[in-house]
Amino acid sequence: MFSRWSWVACGFYLVLNICSPDASSGLVQSCGHIIPESPVLALGSNFTALCILNESCLDFGNIYASQIIWKIKNRLVPKEQYREINRTVSSVTFNDTSSLATPLTCNILADGQMEQNIYGITVTVGLAPEKPKNLSCIVHQVSRFTYVMTCTWDPGRHTFLDTQFKLRYSWPEEVFPDCIPKDVNNSCSITDIQFFVNTEIWVEATNALGKAESDRLVVDPIDIVKPLSPQNVSVTSGILPTVLQLTWENWISYAVMTLKFNIRYRIVGDTDWMEVPSEDTASPRTSFSVQGLRPYTKYIFSIRCMKEDGQGYWSDWSEEKIGTTIEDQPSKGPPIWRIIDTSHSPAFWTVHLIWKALKPFEANGVILQYEVTVRDKSSLSCPVKKYNVTSTNHTLQLPEGTYEVTLVARNSVGASPPSVLLIPASNSKAPVKNLRTLPKHDKLWVGWTAPNSYVLKYVIEWCLVSSSSDCIIEWQIAQGDVQGVDLKGIKPFKCYLITVYPLYADGQGSGQSVKAYLKQDRPSKGPTVQTKKVGKAEAVLTWNHLTVEEQNGFIRNYTILYKTIDGNETVVTVDPSKTEYTLSSLTSDTLYTVRMMASTDNGSSTGPDFTFTTQKFGKGEIEAIVVPVCLAFLLIVLLGVLFCFNKRDLIKKHIWPIVPDPSKSNIAQWSPQVPAKHNFNSKDQMYPEGSFTDVSVVEIEADDKKSFSEQDLKPFDLLKKEKSTSEGHSSGIGGSSCMSSPRQSVSDSDEGETTQNTSSTVQYSTVVLNGYRDQTPLQVFSRSESTQPLLDSEERSEDHSGGADSTAQRQQYFRQNGQDETNTDRPCFERTKQITHADEGDLVGFVQLQISGQSSQPLGLGMEKNTQEAALSSVLQTCTEGQTVRPGTVEENPLSVDEMPKSYLPQTVRQGGYMPQ
Amino acid sequence: MAAAESPSAALRRDLCSRGIRLAGKMRADVVDLLDAYVEQQGLDASASVAAVEGVPLAAVERWDEQTGTQRLLENLAAYRAFRALLAQMLEEQREQLGEADAGLGRALAAVLLQVSAFAYHLEELLRLESREIPGEEEEEEEDGPPPLPRLSLFEQKLRGLGVLRELAQWAVRSVRDLRQLAKPSPAASTAPGLAESP
Repeated sequence: MFSRWSWVACGFYLVLNICSPDASSGLVQSCGHIIPESPVLALGSNFTALCILNESCLDFGNIYASQIIWKIKNRLVPKEQYREINRTVSSVTFNDTSSLATPLTCNILADGQMEQNIYGITVTVGLAPEKPKNLSCIVHQVSRFTYVMTCTWDPGRHTFLDTQFKLRYSWPEEVFPDCIPKDVNNSCSITDIQFFVNTEIWVEATNALGKAESDRLVVDPIDIVKPLSPQNVSVTSGILPTVLQLTWENWISYAVMTLKFNIRYRIVGDTDWMEVPSEDTASPRTSFSVQGLRPYTKYIFSIRCMKEDGQGYWSDWSEEKIGTTIEDQPSKGPPIWRIIDTSHSPAFWTVHLIWKALKPFEANGVILQYEVTVRDKSSLSCPVKKYNVTSTNHTLQLPEGTYEVTLVARNSVGASPPSVLLIPASNSKAPVKNLRTLPKHDKLWVGWTAPNSYVLKYVIEWCLVSSSSDCIIEWQIAQGDVQGVDLKGIKPFKCYLITVYPLYADGQGSGQSVKAYLKQDRPSKGPTVQTKKVGKAEAVLTWNHLTVEEQNGFIRNYTILYKTIDGNETVVTVDPSKTEYTLSSLTSDTLYTVRMMASTDNGSSTGPDFTFTTQKFGKGEIEAIVVPVCLAFLLIVLLGVLFCFNKRDLIKKHIWPIVPDPSKSNIAQWSPQVPAKHNFNSKDQMYPEGSFTDVSVVEIEADDKKSFSEQDLKPFDLLKKEKSTSEGHSSGIGGSSCMSSPRQSVSDSDEGETTQNTSSTVQYSTVVLNGYRDQTPLQVFSRSESTQPLLDSEERSEDHSGGADSTAQRQQYFRQNGQDETNTDRPCFERTKQITHADEGDLVGFVQLQISGQSSQPLGLGMEKNTQEAALSSVLQTCTEGQTVRPGTVEENPLSVDEMPKSYLPQTVRQGGYMPQ
Repeated sequence: MAAAESPSAALRRDLCSRGIRLAGKMRADVVDLLDAYVEQQGLDASASVAAVEGVPLAAVERWDEQTGTQRLLENLAAYRAFRALLAQMLEEQREQLGEADAGLGRALAAVLLQVSAFAYHLEELLRLESREIPGEEEEEEEDGPPPLPRLSLFEQKLRGLGVLRELAQWAVRSVRDLRQLAKPSPAASTAPGLAESP
C-alpha cells in the first residue's frame, strides 16, 4: 500500500518536474538526459548511449538507474544491451546501428508497473560520402566572349544524409570561389573561366559523417572548349560547273584559339553525306571551295569546327545551306527504243520512237530539246530526216526497211553524245536463251544466257498483264556484257510479261518472253463452277479461267471438291488449262455439292458451292421404257382400228344407224296430214313418269316364261342376249319407244347415263301398263293400243299359230333387217337416235327380262353378229315387232286407223322398212 | 628532338606557349575593353594620357639585348603593377556604377584574372630558371610604386584609360618576350641574344 502511494507520488513529482516552470533552465526540467544528444551515426557501426538521471529525482522519487529501460520507437530494447554504470547512469549498446530507429528513449519503470519517459534523442544513421569519381569538364562557348565550364562527376553511393558537393578550382596562387550545384549533386557550371592557365579542378563531398575529395583534374580550360559552330555560312557557285564556294564566320578569335574544320555536303534528296577530306580543312580559314561536284545539282552544305590542335570538342554542325552548281552539257545520250506498229500495213510501219529522259546527273542541266535523225540505210539516196522534239517520244511513218535513228539531247550549254538505234527490216538474229526471273526483295531480277554472237545491248521490255487494259510497255536498256538486270517498280501479286531483245551491231534478235510475278499470293477468288450436263452417273462441269487480276500468281492446278449431302468429299485435281471436267461414278438421283479451288504457289481460294442432282434414269433408259410402251399402245390402237375397220359396218350401223326419214315415207306422201298431226311432245304430257309402276311386267313374264316353251322364249332370249351388251334401245315391248319414248323429255337431261337404271326399267314397264290403263282413249290409242294389244295379239297369235311361226317371222325380220338396213331400218333408227341418249331405261328393261328369262341361247341370224349388233337388232326387232304387230292390230281394230293415222299408219304401211315383213 | 627534350624544357615550352596565347587573348580582350571603357566613361578614344605612375613602360630600348630573366622580371613587375591597378579600377568602377554596368565590371575582372594568370606564368618560368621570385610586398617596399594618391573621378577615368592602353602594349611586348624565351637556345635565357625584330 505504501509502495503504491509512493509511486503515485513519484509520478506526480515527475510530472511536476517536467511541467513546472523553472526560471533558470526554461519551461522543462527533466529528470535525466541522454548522451550523446541526437547523434549522426555511420550505418553498421556500434553505438552506446548513456542515460543520466538527475540527483534531485533520486531523492524524491526513489528512481535509480536500475529501473531504466530503453526503447526504440516504442519497441523495448533487450535488457542484455543495458548496463548500469552507477545508480544514476545506465547505458545501452547497439552493435549495429542499422537496427536503430528514431527516437531512442530512456524510460523509468516505477514499481514494475508505471512507465515514465525520462528523455529521448533522435538518431540519424547514414554513410559518409564516397570519393566523387569520373570528374570531367567541358567549356561551352555560349557567345563570342562567353564561355561556361561545366563539370560532371559521379557522386557515389547514397549517403542517407544531407551531403554537400562543391566544385572547386584554383590556380597555384589563386583560389576561385567554389561552385555549388543547384538541385543536383553531380554537375556544376563555372562562368568566369580563364584560358591559358592550368586550372586545378576537384570536387568535395561533405556530410555529417565526413568529407571526401575527388581526384584533381588539372586542365587548361582552352583545351576542353566546344566552340560555337561557324556562322553565316553561304554557298556560291563558281565558274566551273563542278565547284561551289563556301564562306563562313568564326565566333572565336584567333587570340583565343585557332580552328580546324569539317565540311560535309550531300545532294538534295539524298540522305548520305559526303565529307571534304579533313586534311584539306585542318587550318584556320573562313572559306573553302568544294570541288568534284555534279553540274546543275543542288547541294546542301554544313560545317563545324574545333581547336586546331584537336584538343577539345567539335562544335555542332552549322545550319545547312544549299548551293547549286552551274549547267554543263549532257554527259550521255538518252536511251532510245522503238515500238513498230504494222497493224495497218505490213509494208508500211508506224514507228514509235521512245526514249528516256536523262537523269539529272546525266542531263547536267535543263534539256531544251531532243534532235532525232532518221537515216534509211537501205537506200543511200534518201535524205536524212531530222526532227526537233521536246517530248520523249516521236512517231514516224516509214516504209518497211532498215533505219538508223540517232538521238541527241541538248541543253543550254551543249549537246549530248548521240544515241544510235538500228531498226532492221526483220528481227531475225539469235535471241537470248534461258530467260528466267527471280524476285529479289522489291526488285525482280531478269536473267538470260547471252547468244553466241556479240551483243551490243539488251532491251528489256515489261508490262503489267491486265485483262481490262492494254499492256503498257516499260523498258530499259542493259549493256551487252550483262546477263541480268533488276526491274524496279514491280508490284507484287501482279503478272508481268517480260521480253528481252538482244541488239547486235547489224541487227536485232527476236524477243524472248516470260511471265513473272514479283510475289505471289493465293487467288483472290475461286472459279465458279457449274454443270454443263448432268447424267445418271456423271456430270460435266465447266468453269471459266480466273482473270489475271484474280489469279495473284501462277495457277498451278484446279481442284474439284464434290460430295453428297452426307457423304465424304471427293477431291479431283485438274490441269489449270482445262475449263471442263466430267465427274463420273456418281450416284443416280442424288444431290451433289461441288466447288472448285484454284491454287497458286502461295495458297488456294475456293469458289462458291454449286449443287446439282444426278438424273434418276440414264440416257436411253426412258426411251427403252417409253418406246416399247408406245409401240405396244400403237399396236393395240392399230389392232383396234383394224378390228373396227373390219367391223366397220356394224360400228357404222351402231353409231350411225340408218334412220328412215319419215318425210320420205310413202305414208307421209300418202297422208299429208300426218306431219301436222304427229306430235311427239305431247307424249310427255300424256305419260308422266310418276304414274308408272313395274310390278306386273316382271311377274307376268316370269310366270309366262315358265309356261312357255323354248320356242316361245326365243324372242326373249334374243332380247336378253342383245341387252347384255347394248344400250339405248327400246324394249321389245316398247314399240312405242321406237316411235315415241315416254321418257324422251327425261332422256334429254340424262345424257351419258348408263343403261342399267332399274328405275327406268320400272318406269318403262309402268309406262306400258299404266299408260295403257291411264291414257285417254286417244292417247291410249296412240301408245297402248299400238303396243299392248299387239302383245296380246302376239301372245294370242302364238297361242294360235305356234311359236314356230312367230320365230320364223322374227328371223325373217332379222334377216331383212341385216340385209336392208339402209333402207328398211332407217326410220326406226332415226327414231332411236332421237332417244339414244336417254333410252337406257328401256334397255334396262331388257336386262330385267334377261335375268328373269335365264335364256342366253343365240337364235337366228341375230346371233351371228356381235353383241352390239345384236342389241341393234333387238332394237330393230322391237321396232319391227311393234310394227309387225301393228298391221294385225290395224286389222283387228280397223276403227282405230282413223283415230291414229299419225303414228302408226305410216309405219305399218311403209314400203321400204316394213313391207317385207 | 622531341624525345630528347627534358621535362623542364617541355614545361618551359608549354608555359611559354600558354603565356603567348594568354598574352594574345589578353591583348584582344584589353582592346575590346578599351572600347567599352571609353564609351562607358565618356572619354575620347584619342585622348592623350600621361604615363601611369608605377607601371614600367612597355617600350624599352635595346629590347633585343635583354636576357630572358630580365625579360621575365620586367614582365612580372609590370603585371603585378597592372594587377594592383586593375583591382583598384574594379573597385572604383563598382563604387561609381554599382551594378549598373555589370558587363564592364565583368570584363575588367576577366582582364584582371588574365593579368594574374600571366603573372603566374612568369613566376613559373622564373622558377624553371631557378631564379628567386621577388616578393610583392618586398618589391613594393623597395621598387614598387608608391601608394596610389587619391584622385578625382575624372582623373580616375583617365588613369584607367592609361592603364588599359599600357596593358595592351605590354601584352604585345609579352608575346614577343615569351616567343623569345621559347626559342630552344639556352644561351638566350642567360646571355643577350642576337638582335631580333619584335
